[in-house]
Amino acid sequence: MVHPAFGPFLFDTSAESRIARSQNPAVKDWFAEYVALHPVHVSAITVMERVRGYALLARRATGRGRETVEAAQAAYLNELGHVYPVDTAVATVAGEIMALVPQPPTPPRRAHKLVESRQERLVRWRFDCIIAATALVTEMVLIHNNPADFESIRSAVEISPKRFPRLGPLGLIRCESRV
Amino acid sequence: MKHARRNNSTAKARTTITLPADSLKQAKQIARARKVNLSTVISEALENGLRMHRSAQRSEQVLDAYRKAFGGFSEEEVLLLDGIVLNNPGKRQ
Repeated sequence: MVHPAFGPFLFDTSAESRIARSQNPAVKDWFAEYVALHPVHVSAITVMERVRGYALLARRATGRGRETVEAAQAAYLNELGHVYPVDTAVATVAGEIMALVPQPPTPPRRAHKLVESRQERLVRWRFDCIIAATALVTEMVLIHNNPADFESIRSAVEISPKRFPRLGPLGLIRCESRV
Repeated sequence: MKHARRNNSTAKARTTITLPADSLKQAKQIARARKVNLSTVISEALENGLRMHRSAQRSEQVLDAYRKAFGGFSEEEVLLLDGIVLNNPGKRQ
């Protein structure tokens, strides 16, 4: 169990929401201690994914439902911690990762009768590459909820050190180990 | 600058407070051991306590925002907030 004092960590999009929603007392205590010590660090990509999600939910909702979604989005944006931009360094590293692992390592998500399109899956994979690149460039450990995808990126970085001079290894903490 | 104007964080004020006798005794021992005056030890302890209080307040504020940001949504809706868009393949969106 990594103590919050070893942070700050970079939070992947789904890890941030999973930890924030956890009902596990140990996770709740860990997160309370973490935010007392550090801002939550995320990539601008996470903010983009999140705002897109709120916008899609707001479009589907009506009346008070829409107000609830808008209030939730405002709460998220008003208390954002540190947001890392996609700058030249991050873009360069992300491009290298995408060239090494062009296709998502896992299939599109499914739930009940719903399925993620291949196009959506590819886009989400590329967003994960940018988030991993942000962790590498900022030398932060990435807290994630997606072992198959991020372990693939870690392996790609490890077996191609010449493509990532002075960077890596990619530090990963799976939030399942915390939740 | 020799005569720098004191800002609020360095300005000092005199006051009278009542402390637990044991805490006061410990603070005096620390002051003697460190060869500083009692005010320094009490000020540092107070500043640490205030920092922890601010930190706890900040923590509660952030946690409350996260509760509002993610609390009222179903698992499927949170997937959408995580950037995972699921569609019914038989249905045109």
